[in-house]
Amino acid sequence: MYKPTIGLEIHVQLSTKSKIFCGCSTEFAQEPNTQVCPVCIGLPGVLPVLNEKVVEYGTKLAVALNMTINKYSNFYRKNYFYPDLPKGYQITQYSIPLGSEGFLEIHGNIGNQKVRILRGHIEEDSGKSMHSGDITESEFSFIDFNRSGIPLMEIVTYPDMETPDQAYEFLVLLRSIVRYLGVSSGDMEKGAMRCDVNVSVSKDNTMGTKVEIKNLNSFKSVKKALEYEIARQIEVLEKGERIVQETRHFDEHDGTTKPMRTKEELNDYRYFPEPDIPPLSISDEYVASIKREIPELPHKKEERLISEFGISKDYSRSISYSQKLAEYFEDVVSFAGHPKEVSNFLMVNVVAFMNDKGVEIDEVNFDKHKFKELLDLIDQKVISGNIAKEVIDESLVSGKSPKQIVEEKGLTQITDEDAIKNAVLEAINENPTPLNQYLGGKKQVYGFFVGVVMKKTKNKANPDLLNKILMEELNKLSS
Amino acid sequence: MIDLEKIEALSALKLKGEEKEKIIKDLEEIIEYFEILKEVDTEGLEPLIYTKGIALSLREDKVTESLDIKYIERNRKLFGNNLFRVKRIIGE
Amino acid sequence: MEIGDLTIKDIASRVKRNEISANEVAKFYIEQIHMKDPLINAFLYVDEDGVIKRAKELDNLKNKKGLLFGVPIAIKDNMNVKGLQATAGSKILRGYIAPYDATVVQKIKDEGGIIIGKTNLDEFAMGSSTENSAFFPTRNPLNVEYVPGGSSGGSASAVSAGLSKAGLGSDTGGSVRQPAAFCGVVGMKPTYGRVSRYGLIAFGSSLDVIGPLTKTVEDSAVMLNVIAGFDAKDETTAKVEKEDFTDSLGKEIRGLKVGVIKEIADFNVQSEIMQSLKVSYSKLEQLGAEIIEVSLPHLKYALPTYYIVAPSEASANLARFDGVRYGLEGEGENIKEFYEDSRTKGFGSEVKRRILIGTFALSAGYYDAYYVKAAKVRRAIEGDFESAFSKVSSIILPTTPTTPFKFGEKKSPLDMYMSDIFTIPVSLAGLPAISVPIGKDNKGFRVGIQLIAKWFDEATLLRVAYALENY
Repeated sequence: MYKPTIGLEIHVQLSTKSKIFCGCSTEFAQEPNTQVCPVCIGLPGVLPVLNEKVVEYGTKLAVALNMTINKYSNFYRKNYFYPDLPKGYQITQYSIPLGSEGFLEIHGNIGNQKVRILRGHIEEDSGKSMHSGDITESEFSFIDFNRSGIPLMEIVTYPDMETPDQAYEFLVLLRSIVRYLGVSSGDMEKGAMRCDVNVSVSKDNTMGTKVEIKNLNSFKSVKKALEYEIARQIEVLEKGERIVQETRHFDEHDGTTKPMRTKEELNDYRYFPEPDIPPLSISDEYVASIKREIPELPHKKEERLISEFGISKDYSRSISYSQKLAEYFEDVVSFAGHPKEVSNFLMVNVVAFMNDKGVEIDEVNFDKHKFKELLDLIDQKVISGNIAKEVIDESLVSGKSPKQIVEEKGLTQITDEDAIKNAVLEAINENPTPLNQYLGGKKQVYGFFVGVVMKKTKNKANPDLLNKILMEELNKLSS
Repeated sequence: MIDLEKIEALSALKLKGEEKEKIIKDLEEIIEYFEILKEVDTEGLEPLIYTKGIALSLREDKVTESLDIKYIERNRKLFGNNLFRVKRIIGE
Repeated sequence: MEIGDLTIKDIASRVKRNEISANEVAKFYIEQIHMKDPLINAFLYVDEDGVIKRAKELDNLKNKKGLLFGVPIAIKDNMNVKGLQATAGSKILRGYIAPYDATVVQKIKDEGGIIIGKTNLDEFAMGSSTENSAFFPTRNPLNVEYVPGGSSGGSASAVSAGLSKAGLGSDTGGSVRQPAAFCGVVGMKPTYGRVSRYGLIAFGSSLDVIGPLTKTVEDSAVMLNVIAGFDAKDETTAKVEKEDFTDSLGKEIRGLKVGVIKEIADFNVQSEIMQSLKVSYSKLEQLGAEIIEVSLPHLKYALPTYYIVAPSEASANLARFDGVRYGLEGEGENIKEFYEDSRTKGFGSEVKRRILIGTFALSAGYYDAYYVKAAKVRRAIEGDFESAFSKVSSIILPTTPTTPFKFGEKKSPLDMYMSDIFTIPVSLAGLPAISVPIGKDNKGFRVGIQLIAKWFDEATLLRVAYALENY
């Protein structure tokens, strides 16, 4: 049996206003080389000055991931030549990172799994190089340094995951966490979260050979690349061949991984302590104050919503992973009660509407008052659950209140026992064949009669009364 | 003992001719001279990176004005949409 | 009294009182440069139009204030002055124009100083003779057949020859003190962290300190008053109280304990220098100071330590000179060739040598044996000074083992490195030190005597230096 082992290295862009070592703006998608200064473009004579928000956000994220915050951490220079690296070295944490030894518990369809985190360190991003056409064929490359010096936190996990789904889960949860903390937008499309994966496949407890995959631009790519790579490695091993330790590139178009062109790459980064930045010291008080600022995180919230409100696991997760949705949900429930019903309407009707229109929950015109009105209408048996769905859909589109909709469309539930009884008797009389089947012992035909009655009452019959009367009438006939 | 080819490549330098010979000789002499440090017992000593009285102070997260592009252009011609241009990057 | 003989304080106060104009002062120095610099070659660039314009602006000010009001200051060409060249003495930065002011330059401007020009140096401050300048060597004004020392040879000779009232140099292993000694002027290296490095083109970041070159200790103190202080742009500046360093000048030194170093005997020092050193001991004693022998057991390890630490840092500091964003552009079919061509053409031999040494010392397999080992020995050297300073408040030793040498005289790099043997240990420890001209050799050169004080105790340093200078 082959067992895959997966580890992740994730770069999270910290959403500070200014860059990590200078005051240049971090705003996305600006004109090239307009958000640069002598520091981040590496002019002669400049020095880096660490942004306090980077320390704050980095500490917050490390604490949220259960890491130990190191009392002293230090910065190093990682030396290599590349046109988008203006100083010829990257300033990054190395021997002692901001945070070490944490974990994150992921739970999805595959059960609970603790993923240990090796370290979390802060560093600067490089500029962006662009190539016209094929990288190997174009004569020139072009460089924009706006991104140079954007603060990053790199999270390195232990190789504790075994399936692409787990890796996907980890990333989705991490994204939700950084958004809850407000330390990053978490948008992979905008490069605010970037992920490299390490994967090996082992058989019979022998260590596999690690392959690194780069160029993963979405969570789905991560999953696809892993699925492909694991299958590829198994195939290679099955043929009795060896896995080459290498870095591979994910090709989004055909969903495969390909070896990156390897020249005799010199991988000797000559790390040494950055003399321009004295060690960063972080006090226990500071860590304590950061801890106090950390809100309930999505995976904890997910558990609580289940135990406190008894809502379904799937709904709880979908609600919890989005901070805005979770806030909305709790707000509605504390005002109107009925958590199960609220979660149901929220996920089935409201989220479908949001997805359809491409809007966020705070742009949806269905506040807690309307929600309460809807729930009251059900409570008071004015409308049934089925009608309620119709009402909420209509309300989401028109913005009209549930009451108004029910009145205008005459959707009020029938609670008049005589009216329901008439419909029941009609249904029985008009369908002698099913009736005989029922009386002959085929009890599942009961549902057929319910359907007929609902149709006759245009879905407005109170379901409890309908059941009571239908059962009574059928019992009369069978005795 | 010193792999000059590797050190040159890491330094992005390519020495030639007389200069190369002279520098190799000098380097060997200098590195030989470093041997004397082996005499020093450094057991238990912390490497000194920062001298006394230096402590980190952090910068407030405030946006400051960027460098006017004309100062960049004074030292290097830009291309297209104000981009730096370099010879193709082979490999990755 | 001629303008050239005035102190910084004199010039500033006379200009402020309208007794002489800034314009007259500026014209005087420009005239001196026209007359003498063609022989000395102290300057890489003289900002004549800018100087006159600035002088006139100062003269037109109603509210005239500032410690350097109307005083011309020469700046080593490895510091950024907005709108002027900043070559660091290298071909790779030929024609480079700085888009911003170094913090020290800003401070000089704020105090009414006039930046008169950019002075020559050994390329990227790597050298002890200014022969490593990519442009031309500077000559020693005391005897033009001899080197002015380095790397701040341009600023030292400019001050010595009276081409500028004061100059700024940078001192990584002695680059202010050694040329000061060679040119017979006062050169101070403040405590590491006392003066902002922002805008100084880095050589060895954990060692680089900007310091003044002046005619007198008093001028040195005034210059330190101007350039010292915490800078939010430099994380390695210390948060220390502002003080007036001229306050301690003229205070008697009776009872102060001055250390003499036992290990001096192990070094080959020119006899006239030993003579001047002994004269200095007796002067200090006559002034009531107590001379006490202290030991710096690791003194002889300072040089190899320095030649690992400084080049290691330099190898990274000079990586930004890759031809992409500024500076000399090489040729090549691809980026690797382009880098190699730009850098191989742009850097001189000494710079290449140090980049290679540093790269080697940091490379895989050698890092612990060289870089880490050196950083640990550096700690031992710091420890030596710490225990010495538990007994004394200053230490006296020669600035250099010899007086100036002739051009081309030092054949091997190691020979050249030896001229910084007494300045390097101080740099490694980050201590403040000053070189004061005391006595003469038989060729008529002044001998530089070096004083060292405790970390951030420039007050005592200047106090003792002033007493020795004015004995």
